[in-house]
Amino acid sequence: MNDVLARWSRRLALVAGLCALAATAAAFAPIVAPGFDWRLPPGVTPPPVPADNPMSEAKVALGRRLFYDADLSIDGTMACATCHEQRHAFTDSNATHAGVHGDPGRRNIMALANVGYFRSLTWGDPRIVRLEDQALVPIAGEHPVEMGFAKQEQVLTARLAASACYQRLFVEAFPETHGEVSMATIGKALGAFQRTLLSFDAPYDARWRGEAVATSPAALAGERLFASQGCASCHAGPLFTDAAGGAPKRAFHRIDLPFSGDQGLGEITGREGDRARFRTPSLRNVALTAPYLHDGSAKTLAQAIRRHQAASAISEADVVDLVAFLDTLTDRRFVTNPRLALPPTVCQAG
Amino acid sequence: MRFVALAAAGLWLSAPLAASALMAPATPAPACAAQDADLPAELKGWTAKVPLVAATGAEGLAKAALTPGQAYLSTLSATPSVTYLAQPEKPGGSVSHGGLFSLTVPTAGTFVVALGTAAWIDLLKDGAPVVSASHGRGPTCSTLRKIVAFDLQPGRYVVQISANGPAELPIMVAQRP
Repeated sequence: MNDVLARWSRRLALVAGLCALAATAAAFAPIVAPGFDWRLPPGVTPPPVPADNPMSEAKVALGRRLFYDADLSIDGTMACATCHEQRHAFTDSNATHAGVHGDPGRRNIMALANVGYFRSLTWGDPRIVRLEDQALVPIAGEHPVEMGFAKQEQVLTARLAASACYQRLFVEAFPETHGEVSMATIGKALGAFQRTLLSFDAPYDARWRGEAVATSPAALAGERLFASQGCASCHAGPLFTDAAGGAPKRAFHRIDLPFSGDQGLGEITGREGDRARFRTPSLRNVALTAPYLHDGSAKTLAQAIRRHQAASAISEADVVDLVAFLDTLTDRRFVTNPRLALPPTVCQAG
Repeated sequence: MRFVALAAAGLWLSAPLAASALMAPATPAPACAAQDADLPAELKGWTAKVPLVAATGAEGLAKAALTPGQAYLSTLSATPSVTYLAQPEKPGGSVSHGGLFSLTVPTAGTFVVALGTAAWIDLLKDGAPVVSASHGRGPTCSTLRKIVAFDLQPGRYVVQISANGPAELPIMVAQRP
């Protein structure tokens, strides 16, 4: 009986946590997704959706095409998926990633699981709060140049508009504009697809749903440590980050000293106290997202844990236990889900 | 930055699944007195390239053969005109270039596929991708941009190149000592 009560208690806690996140997010973006099938586990609240970009299957399908299409880079060599690889929970295995012209990457590629719930979307800039806006940063940004369309956005829209395949997909996704191909609709489609990158099927989730899951003593000990050592104060709630609720700037923290030259949040605010503050990354699927930290300088989870000042006093055995717990956050279905994968056929521009 | 240090030291990052696109250094490259002066032993022939036209499909593979130990300045085709034997893991866009090569491995061992760009490499055996053993950059002060290693058995393979920017691609396959 106690087990049953405990299971229901956990389940309600998970639901309550996600409802709270959705309610917080709803303050800046009403949920507008009538009839859209999110394919979420029972009781899990969908992410908020901007009022000007309602979800539709057609929009998600277009966004998925665009996400995997290297024509979104000036020379056709780099897609969003070049850096956001599904098998790595939509990051890659490198410290940073150079742009199409060889410009060095500034920061580690962020993983995208459950990104639709997040209110701050980058390592260092709390001003970017919409996926629709964030999607255009690598495409047309200059700090650094990544996909290379800065001041040449019309080259991209003309390239896509010249494709009969894309013409059809844009009409289906944006019937209200008769299939307008613009940076705005490209961003909206990419945002809609990214909201479907939902990961709630790790062994950790199965345990919380009350399913019988073999969990090692080390993982259970690590879970207790995670709570007792205060990890969950930043890697908070069911999303394992505090980036999903509250003011965007509250999700930025400095974890270690001394810090490198990257000023993080301080670069945006100019405030001394914001130097080297970076947004808390989610820990879901973290076992697949090495290397770690904003600059990719921690090659292993153990190294990343040790870089937290708060973890300076814990033992090596504790670190092993924490790593074992974090491994239970790996959602194998998410990283193999064919609905999120490279489309098997080409929608070639031109 | 750490990645660059490792690569420069000739160390290799583990990559059990990926022939991943390689990264540029996070810091400006040091001034080099000369390029390609200090290459790995198996890639000493990198500077003596001969021309080779990549195939655009299975029918042209016989004429687009890579011989281990020989470097090539290959010519690729526009991606829409290339018919890959298997969907590349990282397909190039319509304005990129790609192509196919045949490769015969005479003896079992570790072979590297070295490129002068960061194009994507899929190595196929009987139509299925071969998992790479490691990947890395070339040495500092070299024109080697990407080196992917595979543990191979004797036999016939196909090298698929996708997502290359220009039509020209320096490429070499070599067996590690």
